[in-house]
Amino acid sequence: MIVKCVVWDLDNTLLSGVYLESGAQPPPPDPAMVTAAAQLRDRGIIHAIASRNPPEAARYAARVTGLDFAASECGWGRKSEAVRRITADLGLAPDAVAFVDDDLYERAEVSSAVPEVLVLSPEDMAEAVGWPEFSPAVVTAEARRRGEMYAERRRRLAEARAFAGSRDEFLRYCRTRVTIAPAAAADVPRLHELSVRTHQFNTTGEAVPEPALRELIGSPAHQVTIVRLSDRFGDDGVVGGCVVELGPGRAWTVTVLMMSCRAMGRGVIQALLAWLARSAAQAGAATLAVPCLVTPRNVPLRLALATAGFRAAEDSAPGGSGGSPPRDDTAGGSGGSPPRDSTAGGAGESSSAEGSPGEPVALFSRSLTGPPPELPDWVTGAAARGASGGVTEP
Amino acid sequence: MTGGETPDVVGELREILARATGREELLGLSEQTPLFGDGVGLDSLTGTLLLREVHRRFGVDVAGEDLNLDALATLGTLAAFISGRPDGGALS
Repeated sequence: MIVKCVVWDLDNTLLSGVYLESGAQPPPPDPAMVTAAAQLRDRGIIHAIASRNPPEAARYAARVTGLDFAASECGWGRKSEAVRRITADLGLAPDAVAFVDDDLYERAEVSSAVPEVLVLSPEDMAEAVGWPEFSPAVVTAEARRRGEMYAERRRRLAEARAFAGSRDEFLRYCRTRVTIAPAAAADVPRLHELSVRTHQFNTTGEAVPEPALRELIGSPAHQVTIVRLSDRFGDDGVVGGCVVELGPGRAWTVTVLMMSCRAMGRGVIQALLAWLARSAAQAGAATLAVPCLVTPRNVPLRLALATAGFRAAEDSAPGGSGGSPPRDDTAGGSGGSPPRDSTAGGAGESSSAEGSPGEPVALFSRSLTGPPPELPDWVTGAAARGASGGVTEP
Repeated sequence: MTGGETPDVVGELREILARATGREELLGLSEQTPLFGDGVGLDSLTGTLLLREVHRRFGVDVAGEDLNLDALATLGTLAAFISGRPDGGALS
């Protein structure tokens, strides 16, 4: 499991001394730990603070280390509780988190309360920079900016809390821009990364290998799309993507749909689903189908589908009779319910919706009759392949 | 757990919604107002917060039982869904 976030103790760990015992001159940062943290940041790993100190200590540490901290928990409660809050706040799984503390007691307390967390001493950390857990295979431009983007997110959330108005008004106030465009070869590493890292907004729960993505981008029967997001607080880069299979009988099937949870609540998934329905309708498609794994992890995606007017076929109830068994139709379309890619074959198929055993796939779809859905005004969308006329808006 | 407890469930749900969205005025939400779209404008973020809190307070896993999330049509349908479940309506 790749570590996505390192939670740091401050006293005698990230700082070379004890903050509250140092009088007017707080201790300088620990050079070895700051070097390790900066290396990890450049690999897209974010940082957080859990310290038995007043909140000023976290601000001081951010200033003297030059690092961005996505979350900080300063107080005198248990470190395991601080780690749990940080994990929940950032939407991470505990096994994607490492905790570094010089105090043996604190390390034991976190290990026993949250055993999934990778617990390290500062000495371990200096060495662990070379471990596979801290060495993601792909480091994209988005990954390198991840720490900064969490800091931007904190500023955005603070303004959202103070903002009197609807969510859409806030998105406009933020000058939110969602840009939907065809994927190019240069987007392959980021799309692969999204397929590995996204869970809450992911229809398949499966990694899509880079060769498969390149094949899909070049395939005339597929359309691979990327979604970019930016606003006045910063540029989030590519936050989502999808693969549409342009099937026979004017059927559009979204075989992969994924979005970073960082983009949650910012109108992105709503924009993408509206754009898909609009593009499919303009291309003369008869149906727009989204096979989607039904799992507790991607409930946010099901909420987005419900909001956008998608409905699942009656016979694909979760955990019930008639749910599509996940592994009965992997070999090319002969098996069963969710229509999936049976045209390109081979590696291109790894995008199909195979779940863990016991997790059914439901076939969501949306009617394309009637007027095409409105695109939110923060969206700029390129014309889809086969669509008559662009949907580009200012 | 009979229908008699529904009013309490509705009141709890109004509080949960007001907190999830940060909108005080939802404390006076009618049982017929749609939760999606032009009504409350629930999105994936606020919807997830609502479902999580419903699970915690009432022990009802709406997303696990209702594939299309039809229970989230209105405050009234959600309260009825909760009260109709074996553990539903049991205020903790």
